[in-house]
Amino acid sequence: MLDFFTIFSKGGIVLWCFQGAGVTESFTGPVNALIRSVILQERSGNNSFTHEALSLKYKLDNEFELIFVVGFQKILTLTYVDKFIDDVQLHFRDRYKNELEQKGALKLLNNSFEFENDFKMLLREAEDSSKARSPAPMRSFKESEKSQKTVKSMIETKGGDKGKEQGGKKNKNTKKEAPAVEPAKGDQGKASSSGQKMAENGNQGLTADEIMQKKREEFFRKRMVGTTEKPSKSPKPQKPREKQMRVWDMGGNSTKDLDYSERNGDGSTNGGEQNQEAQIDLGMQPSSMQGDLPSVDYESSEGEEMEDEDEEVVVSETSKTSSKKGGGFGGMFGMLKGLVGSKSLSQEDMEPVLEKMRDHLIAKNVAADIASQLCDSVAKKLEGKVMGTFTTVASTVKQALQDSLVQILQPKRRVDILRDVMEAQSQRRPFVITFCGVNGVGKSTNLAKISYWLIENGFTVLIAACDTFRAGAVEQLRTHQRRLNSLHPPEKHGGRPVVQLYEKGYGKDAAGIAMEAIAYARNQAFDVVLVDTAGRMQDNAPLMTALAKLIAVNMPDLVLFVGEALVGNEAVDQLVKFNQALADHSMSDKPRLIDGIVLTKFDTIDDKVGAAISMTYITGQPIVFVGTGQTYNDLRSLNARAVVSALMKA
Amino acid sequence: MEADSTGANMAEKAEADVEMTENPFEPYIESLRQQVEDQDPVFLIGVIVALAVVIITCVFLKYFLTSKTVRTAVLLVGLCDSGKTLLFSRLLSGKFKRTQTSITDSSAPYKAKNDRGSTWTLIDLPGHDSLRSQYLEKFKLAARAIVFVVDSAIFQKEVRDVAEFLYVLLTDTVISRNAPALVVACNKQDITMAKSAKLIQQQLEKELNTLRVTRSAALSSQDGSVGGSLYLGKKGKDFEFSQLPMKVEFLECSARGSKGEDGNADIEGLENSLAKL
Repeated sequence: MLDFFTIFSKGGIVLWCFQGAGVTESFTGPVNALIRSVILQERSGNNSFTHEALSLKYKLDNEFELIFVVGFQKILTLTYVDKFIDDVQLHFRDRYKNELEQKGALKLLNNSFEFENDFKMLLREAEDSSKARSPAPMRSFKESEKSQKTVKSMIETKGGDKGKEQGGKKNKNTKKEAPAVEPAKGDQGKASSSGQKMAENGNQGLTADEIMQKKREEFFRKRMVGTTEKPSKSPKPQKPREKQMRVWDMGGNSTKDLDYSERNGDGSTNGGEQNQEAQIDLGMQPSSMQGDLPSVDYESSEGEEMEDEDEEVVVSETSKTSSKKGGGFGGMFGMLKGLVGSKSLSQEDMEPVLEKMRDHLIAKNVAADIASQLCDSVAKKLEGKVMGTFTTVASTVKQALQDSLVQILQPKRRVDILRDVMEAQSQRRPFVITFCGVNGVGKSTNLAKISYWLIENGFTVLIAACDTFRAGAVEQLRTHQRRLNSLHPPEKHGGRPVVQLYEKGYGKDAAGIAMEAIAYARNQAFDVVLVDTAGRMQDNAPLMTALAKLIAVNMPDLVLFVGEALVGNEAVDQLVKFNQALADHSMSDKPRLIDGIVLTKFDTIDDKVGAAISMTYITGQPIVFVGTGQTYNDLRSLNARAVVSALMKA
Repeated sequence: MEADSTGANMAEKAEADVEMTENPFEPYIESLRQQVEDQDPVFLIGVIVALAVVIITCVFLKYFLTSKTVRTAVLLVGLCDSGKTLLFSRLLSGKFKRTQTSITDSSAPYKAKNDRGSTWTLIDLPGHDSLRSQYLEKFKLAARAIVFVVDSAIFQKEVRDVAEFLYVLLTDTVISRNAPALVVACNKQDITMAKSAKLIQQQLEKELNTLRVTRSAALSSQDGSVGGSLYLGKKGKDFEFSQLPMKVEFLECSARGSKGEDGNADIEGLENSLAKL
C-alpha cells in the first residue's frame, strides 16, 4: 500500500529505502519537494505534506540527525501510518544504535543498513492491526442486553434502586456494556436513576439539608469516577411504559402556588406554605446566615474542586522534579547537573522556554499564528536532541529559533533586479514590475523611489498609471515624473527623458491600460515598466478579480506585494487572500503569484520588526525592498541578520 | 573592607621589605610569615581563588584562540542539486549513495592521495539558498580550500545563480583575506549535454564582469551596512580569474561515473588537485 519509505540523514545521504511493488518513479523528487517546502520553511508543525498525487508523512529524529519519510497515494487513507513511522523509528534506532552513535559522516557511508526484513515485519504488523480494528459486527438479539432483562425489571417502580437490579445473566462478551449492576456505591449508572430520585425527593418534600447532601454526593461521585465509563447505552431498567409528566427538580408540585390572585387578601396559610416552599426551593434556612459569614471552604463542592486542582498541580510538580536528574540534593546541584553532561531535550523541558519565546515574538509584532507555528516547528526540530555540556535548554532553544528566523528571511532564490533588467534588455523586451497591496501602504511612493534607483543605474522607466480609481493618483505620478526628470535631465541621458508616464485618465479598465503601456514600452525601447495599481482590501472580491485579471493577462516579470511594517496579524490575512485571488482567477496551470514583498514604513517601527517574518513565512517569497522614509533615497535592501537580532533583542 | 586594605598595605609592605632588605633576609621573612599567619584565612583563600581563576582563564583563552586559527577544512559548496553530497561520498568511500537535499553539513576526515599522506577535514555544506550563508559563515574561517561544484549539464540556465554565489564567495572579507585555493569542479560530465570546463570558465568570467557593476550598485541594507564592497579583479579591465589573489583551477569530474551507479566515479582530477594542497 505504501509507495515508498526512506531513511536518510540530515546531511543528505540515504541510509535505506524501500520502494513499493509496482512503483516506477523515483521518490527523490517528492522528498526533495518535502524538504524544501516544509522543513526548510519551518512548517514542520504538522507532519504531512501532499505533492501532486502523493501524500507524504515524515518524522525527524534529532538525536541521530535522521529523517524518516513515508509516501503513499493521496486518495488512500491509511490509518496506521503515524504509528507505523514511530515504530520504524524506534526499531531502527535500537538496532543501529552503535553505528549511529559514531561521530562524523563516515558511519553513514561505511555501514550498510540492512533493514529490509525488520521493515517488512513491521509493515505486516501495522497492516494487520489496522484490519483488526475494522468495525465490530452487529450483535444478535441474544447477545444484547434486552434479552437479559426480566419482565419484572422493566416495570418501573417508585424507588429508584430496586429497578437497577437486573435479573438474569450478565453478558461478559460485549465490551460496551457498562458494569452498572453494582447497586451500592459510586457507579456512573446511578446517575440516571439518581436523577429520578431527585425528582421524587422533590416530590416528597425533603428538607433542604438533605437535598444539599444528595447534591453534594452526586457531585462527588461524578468527580471521582471521572470520564472512565460512559453509560452510552447503559440499560435503563425503568423505561417508562407510558409518557410521564416531566417533574423538575426545583419545581413545586402544584400550580396553585403560582396563582397569586388570592394572596393579597389571604396571608396566613397560603403565604405560610409559600414561604416554606420558597425556603425549600432556595435551600435556605432562616437562621443559616446568622453570625459571621462562613469562609469559602465551607462550600464543599468548591472545596473539592480546589483540592483536586491542588492535587493535580502537586502531582505534576513532583513528576517534573523527579524527571530532572539532579532532583535530590538541593537546587544548586540540580542546576549544575543540568548544565553538564548529555541530556536529551524533551517537550516538557522546552515548553516553558517556547512559551516565553512565543510571547516575545508576539510582542515584537509577529502574527500570533505564525509565532505559534514557528515555535512548534522549532520544538519538532529539537525534540530528542542531545545537548552539549554547559548549554542550558533556554540557550539551545534560543539559538535554534534564531537560526530558523534567519533561514526564513534568507531569500530562496536569487534577488538581483538590476541583473534581471539587463537580461530583459538583452532580449529587447521591457522588464515589467507590478505593485499591488491594500490601501495606503505606500505603493506610489515606493514606486517613485524604485524608479529613482533604476534611473541612477542608467535605465529608462515607463510608469503605467493603472490606478484609475483614486482621485489624484495620476497627478501624483505625474508630479513624481516631473521631479525625477528634473533631477536627471534628458540632456545627460542621451536626449530622451528618463521617466515617462503612460496614463489614460480615470475610470478606465486597469488591465487594458497596462497592456497598452507594455506595448508602448516595447515600441519605444524602454527598459522597465512600473505598473501602479489601486489599493484594494483583500475582502473585496470584484476588485481582487480585477487585479488577478490584470496580472494574468499581462504576465509581468515581477509581482510585488507592498505591505507596511506596522501591520500585525492582518498581514497573514492580506497575503493569503491576495495569493488566493491570484491563483483562483488565472486561467493557466501555473498561476503567477506574488513574487516578492516590499516592506514599507520601516522607519516608523524601531525594533518591532515582526511583520517581516510574518510576510515571508506566509508566502515564502523574499523581501526585495525596504522603504525607510518618504524621500527618493529612502530605499534599502533587507539584512536578515540585523532584523533577527532586533527581533531577538530582549 | 578592612581586610582588603590591610591586605593591600601588607602586600606593599611585603614588597617594600623584599626590595629594601636583601641582606638582612631572615628576620624580615620571619616577620612576613608571622604577618601572613596573622591574617584572616578567608582573605588568603580569596587571594588564592583569584589567582587560580586568572590562571584558568589564561589557559582557556589560549585553548580557544588557538583552535580557531587552524585551517584544515576543505569545503564542498555549490548550488542545490549540483552533486556535492554524492561527491563527498565518492571521495571518502568510493561508494555510490542515493542522496536527498541536505539540510545540515556533513564532515569527515579525508586522507589525501599524496606522498605526505596529509589528512584534511572534508565538509559538505548544504546548497539550498536559505541555508547557504549560515553554513558559510560557520565554516569559512577554517577553510583551507574550497571546491565549488557546478552542474555542467544545466549550466546555461543557471549561469546567473552560479555567478551570484561565486561572487558572494569571492567578495567575502574573510575568504579574500585568507585566500584559500579555489577548485571549480564541473560535475555531471557523464551527461551528454555537459559543458566543458573551459566554456564554463569563460561564461563565468563574463557574468562576473557584469555582476561587479550591478552588485556594487545594489541598495545598502536598512541599517546602513553595505556588504562585500570588495571590487573583484582590476578596475578598467575585464574580469579574469587570474586577477584574483587566490589560486583558481577549473576541472571536470563526474560523481556518478560513466558506468552508472555501480561503476567508479571519474574524480581523478579532483583527487589530484586535492593532493596538491
